[in-house]
Amino acid sequence: MDPVCPLALLSAGTSAIVAEVRAGKEMRLRLAGMGLCPGARVRAQCVDRGSLIVSVGDARYALSRGIATKILVGELEAA
Amino acid sequence: MTGIRIALTGNPNVGKTTLFNALTGSRQHVGNWPGVTVEKKTGRIDWNGHAIEVIDLPGTYSLTAYSADEVVARDYIIEEKPDVVVQVVDATNLERNLYLTTQLAELGVPVVIALNMADAAEAGGCAIDRERLSALLAIPVVRTVGTRGEGLDDLLDAAIREVETSPHHEHTVGYGNDAEVMIASIVDVFSADKDLTKRYPLRWLAVRLLEGDENALDKIRDSPAHTGVQALLSGIDPDEYEVAMADRRYEMIAAVLPQVRTAGAGGMNVSEMVDRVVTDRYLGIPIFLALMWGAFELTFAVAAPFVVLIEAGLAWLSATIAGSIEPAWLASLVGDGIIGGVGAVLVFVPNIFILFLILSFLEDTGYLARAAFIMDRLMYAIGLPGKAFIPMLIGFGCNVPGIMAARSIEGEKDRLITILVNPFISCSARLPVYILFAGAFFGAGAGGIVFLLYILGIAAAIGSAKLFRHTILPGESSPFIMEMPPYRLPTVWTSLLHTWSRGAMYVRKAGTIILVGALVVWCLASLPFGVEYGSSASLAGALGHLLEPLVAPLGFDWKVAVALLFGFVAKEVVVGSLGVLYGTGEGGDALSTALLADPGLSAATALALMVFVLLYTPCLATIATIRKETGSWRWAGFSVAYGLVLAWLLALIVGHIAPFFLGGA
Repeated sequence: MDPVCPLALLSAGTSAIVAEVRAGKEMRLRLAGMGLCPGARVRAQCVDRGSLIVSVGDARYALSRGIATKILVGELEAA
Repeated sequence: MTGIRIALTGNPNVGKTTLFNALTGSRQHVGNWPGVTVEKKTGRIDWNGHAIEVIDLPGTYSLTAYSADEVVARDYIIEEKPDVVVQVVDATNLERNLYLTTQLAELGVPVVIALNMADAAEAGGCAIDRERLSALLAIPVVRTVGTRGEGLDDLLDAAIREVETSPHHEHTVGYGNDAEVMIASIVDVFSADKDLTKRYPLRWLAVRLLEGDENALDKIRDSPAHTGVQALLSGIDPDEYEVAMADRRYEMIAAVLPQVRTAGAGGMNVSEMVDRVVTDRYLGIPIFLALMWGAFELTFAVAAPFVVLIEAGLAWLSATIAGSIEPAWLASLVGDGIIGGVGAVLVFVPNIFILFLILSFLEDTGYLARAAFIMDRLMYAIGLPGKAFIPMLIGFGCNVPGIMAARSIEGEKDRLITILVNPFISCSARLPVYILFAGAFFGAGAGGIVFLLYILGIAAAIGSAKLFRHTILPGESSPFIMEMPPYRLPTVWTSLLHTWSRGAMYVRKAGTIILVGALVVWCLASLPFGVEYGSSASLAGALGHLLEPLVAPLGFDWKVAVALLFGFVAKEVVVGSLGVLYGTGEGGDALSTALLADPGLSAATALALMVFVLLYTPCLATIATIRKETGSWRWAGFSVAYGLVLAWLLALIVGHIAPFFLGGA
């Protein structure tokens, strides 16, 4: 799947599929443990200038813009 | 039967500590946010003739440890090899929780799943077929509700059964042809190293190496098989394997889930709607400030009648003692020393308890985790991750656990800065000082003044963090990722218990360290023999006069100087010492009157004093914790010196500009 945009650019209510995580090794392994790895379906719940709360499965995470710009997503689906 | 060690592990905020408390009867702190447990805790129970040791580990998402507290959890499981690992699984969040399960199973340790919060999942209409799950994973699954202590007996029985039935089947994820061939060749090379074979499950080690786990590489550094494995690994791209293997694990989980779970009707998500409001770009911070301000106002309003009651009780006690104890010096020791010192602190117990109750309530609902998110942008601007906000919030109760909570912060520099600024967060020990002075000098405006002091503490922490980031600890802050727990309506019982465990610490302190402090001050105020009690001719007076030049520019006299010196032990001692020095054994109200009557103290001086107490030298316990957590006296010493300088400067400024706002001193 081709990445379309960083997670940080999603608007509230949009869901998408993680295509790539452009972060260091440790961070990637950690994110995988949290369910944020390529193939995962995420949904932006609250968005504030690139920082956002996303839901992944039954979990919800708050991410700062810094990391949210490193997670690339595709297959966007507006609410 | 020998002892059995059971390690409790699992994702953050799944109820491990609640279960631990229920199992062992302890009262460890439980919160509704991830990362409350930062070090392992041990409890013991006897169960059907087995001596069981239960170890509560910090939460972790995977066995790839990322922050200091996750390292504690991982190393315990891998290196200490508990007899059985109980993974506490949040039944409402099965998918992500099972990821850790796949890694635990790979390790080959006996695992039992405690399907916790089962009641919440069922209330959401989600039914989980435990027997099927157990059969598919080849791991016993026990239903538990930690908050009500349900399923504990079954859990212990299942854990013991797992220990007694060996060997254990290692149920692992199949990683597909390519990876499996690699795994097999790595295992083959390693099997020559008997020492390594004894210490680690080889398949697990091979998987970690393929994923490119640095920690696993460290473990094989000394193995004779090292070069052989390096040769195998040099031909591959670990990033590719990493993605593929995570994929396989989630695929396996995805295959299991529909067989065991009938999802409830999704419906409206209340959490999400509340989140939209409280994390709103414009409303978020005002809502947070309003809640905090309301908390302090409510604290003063509700506590007032209880304070009156305690004061009356102390006055009665003091009068009774004065009339019935001989000789006079002993009556003075008990009346002025013990009741004057300890009583002055005890008067604030209602305030402390009510503030804790409100903060516990906010914490238990899950709101504070949102507050961390709202603050992240602000924190980022000052060069700290939003997570640093949690140690700060804990610091409002006490800086010692606040500083310890910094362990969940990933970057070493981030962690150091978070530790160093924590003492500026106004802990509960400082509250009595504010209540005394704000109450005496600002009357109805007391709540507002105390609120401002808390804000000043936050501002000092933020300013210092920015300063450190630009000077001694330069660098980028690590990114903020934090799980947002679901909103929960805390039960009255958990909130009260929570409040009690924190408040009791305060009362215990009054009975120990503050009692000793008060007695020392009493001795200094009474010696040499024959001197007028608490006068400037006493030892305390001499000491105070010695220090007076240092604090004179701030408008403080020798009595305040002595109180501040003893406040070094614990900040409540400032109040206790003043109670002793002013000789107002009857408690807070009399002390307020005495302070108001002192011509040396104006409202501006009182404000400067409160600012000084807020910022100066952390108490002994905090300094010891900084030493322990940073591993160096250098940082502890730095913290003391920096705090003193900052307190002195700000108190000077406040003392000089306050009169303009207060309409003349």
